[in-house]
Amino acid sequence: MCRLCVAALLLLAAASCSLDVKLHDDEDEDEDAMFQTPGGDVRVRVSGRALVPGVRAQDWIASARVLLDGDKHVGFLRDDGSFTVSDVPSGSYVLEISSPTYRFQPVRVDITTTGKMRARVVNYIKTSEVIRLPYPLQMRCIGLHSYFIPRETWGWSDFLMNPMVLMMVLPLLIILLLPKVFNPSDPEMRREMEQSMNMLNSNQELPDVSELMTKFFSSPKSHGKAGGGARGHRGGAPSARGGASRRKMKD
Amino acid sequence: MAWLVVRLAISVSLLYAASAVFEDQVGKFDWRQQFIGKVRFALFDTHSQASKKLLVATDKNVFASLNSRTGDLFWRHVDKTGPEGHIDALLMYGQDAVVVVGNGRLLRSWETTVGGLKWETVLDTGSFQAAALVGVQDLVKYVAVLKKSAISLHDLSSGSQIWGENLPDSDSVQYQTIYSGENGLVFVLGIVPNSHIVIVEYKIEDGEIMNKKSVEAAWMSSLESSCAVVSSGILLCVDQITQSLYTLPLQSAEQTEMRQIHLQMLDLEVASGFRPVLTSTQPNPAQPPLSEFFLQLSPDHHILLQFKDGLIALLRDFSPVRTNACSINLFSADTGRKHLDTTIIYHMDPNGGKPNRLYVHAFLKKDDSVGYRVMVQTEDLTLTFLQQPGRVVWMREEALADVVTMEMVDLPFTGTQAELEGEFGKKADGLLPMVLKRLSSQFILLQAWLAHLWKLFYDARKPRSSVKHEVTIDILSRDEFNLQKMMLMVTASGKLFGIDSKSGTILWKQYLENIQPNSVFKLIVQRTTAHFPHPPQCTLLIKNKDTGLGSLYVFNPIFGKKSQISVPTLPRPVLQTLLLPVIDQDYAKVLLLIDDQYKVTAFPSTKNVLQQLQDTASSIFFYLVDSSQGKLSGFRLRKDLSTELIWEVVIPTEVQKIVAVKGKRANEHVHSQGRVMGDRSVLYKYLNPNLLAVITESTDTHQERSFVGIFLIDGVTGRIVHEAVQRKARGPVHFVHSENWVVYVYWNSKFRRNEFSVLELFEGAELYNSTVFSSLDRPHAPQVLQQSYIFPAPINTLEATLTEKGITSRHLLVGLPSGNILSLPKMFLDPRRPELVSEQSREENLIPYAPEMPIREEWFINYNQTVSRVRGIYTAPSGLESTCLVVAYGLDIYQTRVFPSKQFDVLKDDYDYILISSVLFGLFFATMISKRLAEVKLLNRAWR
Repeated sequence: MCRLCVAALLLLAAASCSLDVKLHDDEDEDEDAMFQTPGGDVRVRVSGRALVPGVRAQDWIASARVLLDGDKHVGFLRDDGSFTVSDVPSGSYVLEISSPTYRFQPVRVDITTTGKMRARVVNYIKTSEVIRLPYPLQMRCIGLHSYFIPRETWGWSDFLMNPMVLMMVLPLLIILLLPKVFNPSDPEMRREMEQSMNMLNSNQELPDVSELMTKFFSSPKSHGKAGGGARGHRGGAPSARGGASRRKMKD
Repeated sequence: MAWLVVRLAISVSLLYAASAVFEDQVGKFDWRQQFIGKVRFALFDTHSQASKKLLVATDKNVFASLNSRTGDLFWRHVDKTGPEGHIDALLMYGQDAVVVVGNGRLLRSWETTVGGLKWETVLDTGSFQAAALVGVQDLVKYVAVLKKSAISLHDLSSGSQIWGENLPDSDSVQYQTIYSGENGLVFVLGIVPNSHIVIVEYKIEDGEIMNKKSVEAAWMSSLESSCAVVSSGILLCVDQITQSLYTLPLQSAEQTEMRQIHLQMLDLEVASGFRPVLTSTQPNPAQPPLSEFFLQLSPDHHILLQFKDGLIALLRDFSPVRTNACSINLFSADTGRKHLDTTIIYHMDPNGGKPNRLYVHAFLKKDDSVGYRVMVQTEDLTLTFLQQPGRVVWMREEALADVVTMEMVDLPFTGTQAELEGEFGKKADGLLPMVLKRLSSQFILLQAWLAHLWKLFYDARKPRSSVKHEVTIDILSRDEFNLQKMMLMVTASGKLFGIDSKSGTILWKQYLENIQPNSVFKLIVQRTTAHFPHPPQCTLLIKNKDTGLGSLYVFNPIFGKKSQISVPTLPRPVLQTLLLPVIDQDYAKVLLLIDDQYKVTAFPSTKNVLQQLQDTASSIFFYLVDSSQGKLSGFRLRKDLSTELIWEVVIPTEVQKIVAVKGKRANEHVHSQGRVMGDRSVLYKYLNPNLLAVITESTDTHQERSFVGIFLIDGVTGRIVHEAVQRKARGPVHFVHSENWVVYVYWNSKFRRNEFSVLELFEGAELYNSTVFSSLDRPHAPQVLQQSYIFPAPINTLEATLTEKGITSRHLLVGLPSGNILSLPKMFLDPRRPELVSEQSREENLIPYAPEMPIREEWFINYNQTVSRVRGIYTAPSGLESTCLVVAYGLDIYQTRVFPSKQFDVLKDDYDYILISSVLFGLFFATMISKRLAEVKLLNRAWR
């Protein structure tokens, strides 16, 4: 048991050690990419690599550029897809790869006054939000630009699946086909249908919508000065269903 | 149900309001031309005989590879603008090209076949002096860069620095040139003006100083202009005063005196007052410098000399020849003899400039005779590529890389079209003649149509290749919908172009000589083509930026010919121009020019015009902007063409400075006076034609305290209609002012993003005076609505679409640094966009507010035809209400049409004629058949 513990500790120590080493490595790299101008302000080199899977670099790098904040700073791509933008003063920049064919996600690069760098996801609304991205940058193509919209083509399926057509065709089918399926003159069938209608209209007490409406509109007292809304109030407390149906009528 | 419909309408309008390009429309009505700028360095790929590459570096910070057979671009790399991207030197070795950029800040090596970067290194600061390839034993391995106070040597294959050394006494000695021989040494030559030359020898391997010597040369003031290295390491200098040449072998340690050779000994004499110039081949270790060199004695007198064994021999004297055509001959450098059959006659364009640079590529042909190609660059930035025997292979008009301003002019009617149009304008002269006239014109139309059909038929029989579509001015005429126009482009070099907007063909060009490099141009169309038989007339005001003095150039925009009209001379600096709607008896609009004493000059200034001006003087107002004093002032014209000050607005320059002032475009039409709201009331627009939008920026550039201000000022009364400030914002501000709105873009320095802001002005629910707008009589201040949005990209330029009658919805055209042009519906920039969706806002089709503006790739009107460094977008209405013509210019020129509300007034080009006609025919036959069937049925029933 104890031995295991020791082993775990050792492992932890090793891990932290390697972490430390890594951090140092990072800093070393930063130092390497940093320049001091005589004025004292820091100039750094932003580097990274852009990848278009399945396409030879020669076919796209000649027309692509690396842009920092528009064309404030410009970098070019090497034939392995890597790039560096030299001579960048401290600040926060949006780095994008502009290619007329391939699309890349832009990345925000922050450079401190001491020359430290980090990359994060661009968020224009919550500008202080930090979702870190690896640095040196790994820019991956997220597809082709889709500049064009497809032409509207005319096909039978589009025509048939059109809601208007469906609305017209289905009732037509029902009208034509229903009488053929069952014979309404058959007494047994008629009885069955009546039963099912009663089932649907189970609550006999509830006033019928159409009845209610006729009652409202035929009421001899209510015509003249009062508006529709006032009329509704006067007609007692109509059930929710009645109200809804009235709204429907207005439409 | 209603809300569903509204939502559907919104989604539909969202989907289709934007003008997008269909894939089959590519190249149908749009074109792009790519340019590079004025060539500073050009190198032929001499590596192999069949190579077509021509590498060029230009003053526009462009490094490109041209196809020398066609003049097309293989690839082009556009660096950042300004001195930081300036290309200082171009060296080529094998497949690699080494470029020094940004005053010696960067050293880049390019792979020239693909156009990919090989390596890039940052050099130490210090102003760049010279760069050279350095070799060891005929093998070029290094490149040396000389700065003002340091020299560094870099490996050619990786770019890594081999060594870098500070130069001795760099504060007193000006080091200017670098030379490397074959013996593993690098020589750096410096000068103390009017005292001595310093020569420092460095060892290639480790940068150790091998030798340092100084040579007396009290007469010399600059190495670069008077010296050259010829033969194997001989420094040759020329002195104007003593009229003599001086030679000095660089490598010998003991010789510390320059040897003087009098030019009189060679029977040569320098023209008085001319500074002689020495020209030799660029020293290159792979190819030792020739011992022959040129000496220029007067502006057009060159001689070819040879340096051999310490002696100078005259090989050939090129005395000046005065002709209209230039001829190019190939001479042998060894003997000075002319090669046979190598003369190319170069015809100079009478409307162009003189040639000023040649780039020659000589090669051995298969039969061992010498052949050559030559690229000529002229003053007006035309590149002409010539091949033996005198054939022009291609031409490029690089002046178009720097278009300053442009206009579009309607093409003229043909004779028949003019006749037809004339029929409607005339007063009626009886019924019968009018009928006859009508019939005759219809007959002419029929004739034209038949001729057209015949031509189609005739062309169709010929094989396709032999049918040439050459566009010339004579066959150009206005098309049915006025979609084809003449583009007038004014370039910074002073060259004017007339370009057919449909094909992009240059129809005429005119080089204006003696244009100062810092001139400002303003192009004004005084008379359009509508006034047949008067020719159209354009006026170009050329103004020197420093002195403010201007001159007018009047020309015919269709043919490019200079007009014979007498032009007023402008002895005083011009402050403002004003094109009045007043026309003279020849239908030319009157142009007023206001000078710095506030005196007005009218052009044309005939009696008729002056009379009209006197009548209308009291209603002519103009404004002046003095941004250095932060002063805006309004003036009124008096009857004697003097002016009186009416108002003055001072914006204190300590706090903010005026950046830009814009009125509305004169040719803009507003179709609707107001907007119908959800409750069926009308919100009337505040349509003040005299409104000026003034943009200011704070002088304090600190991130927390900087701001951008906008003032809306009435140009007649000087009343400040509205004022708004964006805090924590800075420029550059781009803005559009149109109808009743102003859209502007600024940089939000707190959140580090671009933001759009829109201001819309409304009069309210009632219109004060609906018949006419008068600035002097508007008691109520307008209601101003404003909203801002985040734009998730940087912006280069901004413009709004324009259509004939203003019915079509507006779009904003945004030029992005990536080269795309975004067509953004104005619908998204509506300050009435609600935060909470209500019934009424749905009724009005208002899109709910969202802080971030969408950018969709379907809205890029130029798909992958990107326009590099787009600087301006020009929009013009066409004869079709749905269509707006767009030209984007920058380094490239792109022309297209946009349909902001889709093509609602013409049949779409994918209109399905077959389906419609088949349905029609089907219905027709169905009725026929059913009719027949019904008849049969009736008959049968009758028989029953």
